[in-house]
Amino acid sequence: MKKNRRLMYYIIAGIIVLLLPVIVRNEYWTVVFVRVIINMIVALGLNFITGLIGQMNLGTAGIYALGAYGSALLTNKTGCSPWLGLLFAAFLGLVIGVALGYPSLRLKGVYFSLTTIGFTMIVQIFLNNLTGLTGGSQGVQHIAPFTLFGMAIDTYVKSYYLYLIFALVALFIANRIVNSKWGRLFRSLRENSDAVEMMGVDIASVKIKAFCVCAVFGTIGGAMFAHFYRYISPATYTTDVSMNYVLMVLVGGIGSVPGTLVGAAIITILPELLRGLGEYYLITFYIIILAGILAFPNGWIDAGQRLITRIKSHNTVKQKGA
Amino acid sequence: MSESILKLSGVQKRFGGLQAVYPLDIDVAPHSIHALIGPNGAGKTTTVNMITGVYKVSGGTIEFDGKDITNMKTYKIARLGIGRTFQNIKVFPNMTLLENIMVGGHQLTKIGLVRGIFDLKGTVAEENMLREKAESLLDLLGMYDVRDHLMKNLPYGRQKISEIARAMMTDPKLILLDEPAAGLNPSERAELINVIRKAYNNGYTFFLIEHNMDVVMTLSDDITVLSFGKKIAAGKPKEIRNNDEVITAYLGRAYAKS
Repeated sequence: MKKNRRLMYYIIAGIIVLLLPVIVRNEYWTVVFVRVIINMIVALGLNFITGLIGQMNLGTAGIYALGAYGSALLTNKTGCSPWLGLLFAAFLGLVIGVALGYPSLRLKGVYFSLTTIGFTMIVQIFLNNLTGLTGGSQGVQHIAPFTLFGMAIDTYVKSYYLYLIFALVALFIANRIVNSKWGRLFRSLRENSDAVEMMGVDIASVKIKAFCVCAVFGTIGGAMFAHFYRYISPATYTTDVSMNYVLMVLVGGIGSVPGTLVGAAIITILPELLRGLGEYYLITFYIIILAGILAFPNGWIDAGQRLITRIKSHNTVKQKGA
Repeated sequence: MSESILKLSGVQKRFGGLQAVYPLDIDVAPHSIHALIGPNGAGKTTTVNMITGVYKVSGGTIEFDGKDITNMKTYKIARLGIGRTFQNIKVFPNMTLLENIMVGGHQLTKIGLVRGIFDLKGTVAEENMLREKAESLLDLLGMYDVRDHLMKNLPYGRQKISEIARAMMTDPKLILLDEPAAGLNPSERAELINVIRKAYNNGYTFFLIEHNMDVVMTLSDDITVLSFGKKIAAGKPKEIRNNDEVITAYLGRAYAKS
């Protein structure tokens, strides 16, 4: 009975997600939803490092930028399919994962975060100054869109559906890892890494694995971004962007997959809803997020669940009373 | 006596100008409980840290199960079959007791990260294996009923015992216990003795570092005594109890028999 009801909720949510562009019929909001999907994938990756292992990675913008530029430049310069670009971005992710994973073994806490900020800055400086390759601050233009069975995915609605499939694959993978012995091991590393090593676990290799997964999700998200907007420039990939990804992981519910999805949706959609406030929209946004973190330390999902059980128990009390 | 499971030959440690442990020989017999005792600062934990590869030795060799493990990496030593608990417990406070124990078995499983994503059947089988093993250990140590509690909500004594269970989960040939009774009240201490006994009867071998004479004298087969980094005595509990040098080290010269 309870399981059936749960399944029903999932089906309803699935139908809504599936019909969203048709219901909304608004290009602006379709773009927002595509961004939500991309951000979900990147945040699901970051969740492994910041949510499970508990290291504050502020380098997501750099990872994201390298994925976008890697895929965009490869397709633009060689004229190959964006799918190859996507594959190349994933490969770049593995390289970045190893490169960021090693310093994480020696650096703890704030020092690690500073390193990752440095990484983002270095990436941005290179993108700005290697004008011959990257086009400098002009960015890369005319990036080819994805094609599927000979059809170019060149409208917002088409992109939405293609990216939805990407997101489902990412969701499946993230869910499998988080709920496996690997997810448990990542969490135990957050709690006490000395003890984990004493159980015969090679911490270096485990952490690098986690960083690779994180970076591959990030670079794939970056490539999706590039082939969706079809124009990228270094100005997009600032440390603010990295901060927002950390917020996505923190706000919904740290370490949990649904929490990350909700976090990504909130952090992406809320500013758009507040645009009506004009120049006050960003400050309002951050006040709401800050208040949310203070009021729901276990995340918005947990808060929502509590609210539901409270309403339910309230109702049953009422029924008994009547 | 048969071949020893752990053999320290001339193992020493210097921190700069300070000789923390003078050349030390210890033999731990298979399936025994061997205690290393000594006053504060005698070099007991330093010795354990050298055995587990946390510190590099300044001299001497450590042999475990016939293999030279001197200065090997910690996780490699652990893989050869040395489990360990810590003086100030190192558990995973925000995970359940069962999860804590199951992490201990991670190294026994084979499925890698990428294969695990797609191998639905294999991961379920592995997960069941880990769960059953962890549950049977908890059952043996009398903590099955609290398996779903968060570690941080368990009393200190039980957290300490769960560390032993986590070490047992790795299928070790030898478990090093670093002051397991420190900070426990008398009834918790009794439970601890009970738990170590039970584990011993199930075939585990222990190397025990302890202050508490109650625990040491009840459990140990052999005792080595350190004082200021030097081995001052070794033998059966009875011999140690009546050893003048040991009494002097612990209680001062006035209490030694003249």
